[in-house]
Amino acid sequence: MLEKGLVALLGGPREPMFHTCDRCDNQASFHLTEIRGGEKSERHLCEECAKVLQVPQANKELQNLLKSFDPSEVSQQGQSKTAKVCPDCGMTYAEFRQNGRFGCAKDYEVFGKEVIALLDRIHGSSLYSGKTPDGKLVIKADVMDEASEFRAQLAEAIEKEDYEAAARIRDQINQIGGRAPDDAPASPTEGE
Amino acid sequence: MSGSGDQSSLFPSDSGSGDSLQLPELWLQEPGPESDVVISSRMRLARNLDDFHFKSRFQEGECERLEVHLSQVLHELEPDFRYHRMHELSPTERKVMFERHLISREHAADELPRGVSFSHDGTTSIMVNEEDHLRLQVFASGLDLERLDEVINDLDHRIGSQVNYSFDPRFGYRTSCPTNTGTGLRVSVMLHLPTLSFRVDGRTGRGSEQDIVRMQNAAQQLGLTVRGIFGESSRADGEFYQISNQVTLGRTPAETVKGVQSLVEHVSSWERRNRDSHFNENRRRVEDHIWRAWAALTHARRMTSGEALSHLSALRFGVCLGILDEDEIDLAAIQSLMVAMRPGHLQYTADTELTADRRDELRADLIRGALQNN
Repeated sequence: MLEKGLVALLGGPREPMFHTCDRCDNQASFHLTEIRGGEKSERHLCEECAKVLQVPQANKELQNLLKSFDPSEVSQQGQSKTAKVCPDCGMTYAEFRQNGRFGCAKDYEVFGKEVIALLDRIHGSSLYSGKTPDGKLVIKADVMDEASEFRAQLAEAIEKEDYEAAARIRDQINQIGGRAPDDAPASPTEGE
Repeated sequence: MSGSGDQSSLFPSDSGSGDSLQLPELWLQEPGPESDVVISSRMRLARNLDDFHFKSRFQEGECERLEVHLSQVLHELEPDFRYHRMHELSPTERKVMFERHLISREHAADELPRGVSFSHDGTTSIMVNEEDHLRLQVFASGLDLERLDEVINDLDHRIGSQVNYSFDPRFGYRTSCPTNTGTGLRVSVMLHLPTLSFRVDGRTGRGSEQDIVRMQNAAQQLGLTVRGIFGESSRADGEFYQISNQVTLGRTPAETVKGVQSLVEHVSSWERRNRDSHFNENRRRVEDHIWRAWAALTHARRMTSGEALSHLSALRFGVCLGILDEDEIDLAAIQSLMVAMRPGHLQYTADTELTADRRDELRADLIRGALQNN
């Protein structure tokens, strides 16, 4: 069963997976992959038990992976990119698309890849050139550093639901963060 | 007509009629650099604070808290500025502020707790809780972008030292709308282009739609846009246009200012060349056009704002060509009338609710009075 799950996780030929709920015998409709300290475990829940266990909270945590690289994230499979939701303001990507206004500054991270593509379309660039609030000049190439490349890879891994790769990339980002505290784009606590 | 005392007679309410609103001076009355073609310059910065949600997702009480916080910050920073909470002003007063560019149309209409801080001379305004937490605006008559850049940078820096701006080295200043992300800067220049925009089927055969389209194409290449100010489309009523930047990411503010400046200079010299050749080739037609406008403005008893705008545009053209004597009428008086004749100002001056018909009558009276007395 683990084999089968891994294949699905890594985006191989997808077979329909039928699981019974871990808590009761109903058919599971929520399939969760949990990664803690490099250890991966799977959980399967029916809709009712998912409610009891507040699985939407788990979904929020998935978004945190993009936002803050929190090491204790829980991820839920089967979420399309339009289902991304900001854990801070509750904005979904679909809502953002509809009214064209962000709900908070964190949306920029939460909808990371889509935002980058959107800004590229609007401005012909998604990299800032100008001054920082303390008056230093930033030219766009300055921030296209290692960390932001990793971050793009992270967004892609999550998109593909490849959570093992995502966890690995997250660790790499955290490592860089440790070595380069001045590297604001990768800093999870920036502005908090 | 040159005395500034004459101008103030256009705004009898300015001296105070018991209203809560004290209007700032009308800075547009002082023609600035390149004023034969360029009416005004404006720069705006969109800024948000890190510790608050954006407007579309304010939590309960957050909007009020932010408004109180920012009004205090602004008061300490600019004690001489006036601060108004929007809900404390009447709809007419808000309309007047909109017509003086102190606030946006949306800021005038919105219901959320919000405010505006502005300088006595009306050249600086800071909107609180507009689409972004802060919208800083500075204005100048004529083409004066370099100076405005310094003014707005200084203001931005001083506010930024008091609050925690939402900023990310990759995206720059994070704004509510992705079209402002990055510098949050909008540079706009308002131009008067009577010959570039002359209608083919209208008063003369000079100029054409194509000139405007050529200008728009050039703008697009530079990440800029050209819009008619009073018209719906590329065809501007009254021949007034606005050139502004669209791109706020990937270009520094200096590059943005330079881009707008160079297009404006290019278009201005194009317009001047066209004016000369147009006037030389069609002297009688041009004179006729201008004197007819003068006749209507000094004798009509009713006038819509569209008609007035079109005639005032002709008058402005006439002054710049030297057809109208500056002792009779100058650019400052025309600029004043263009603001004073707008519906909010008419209503504010009359201090009563006006029908559209009555506004047209008062508009004609106002313009006739201003032009005949001087």
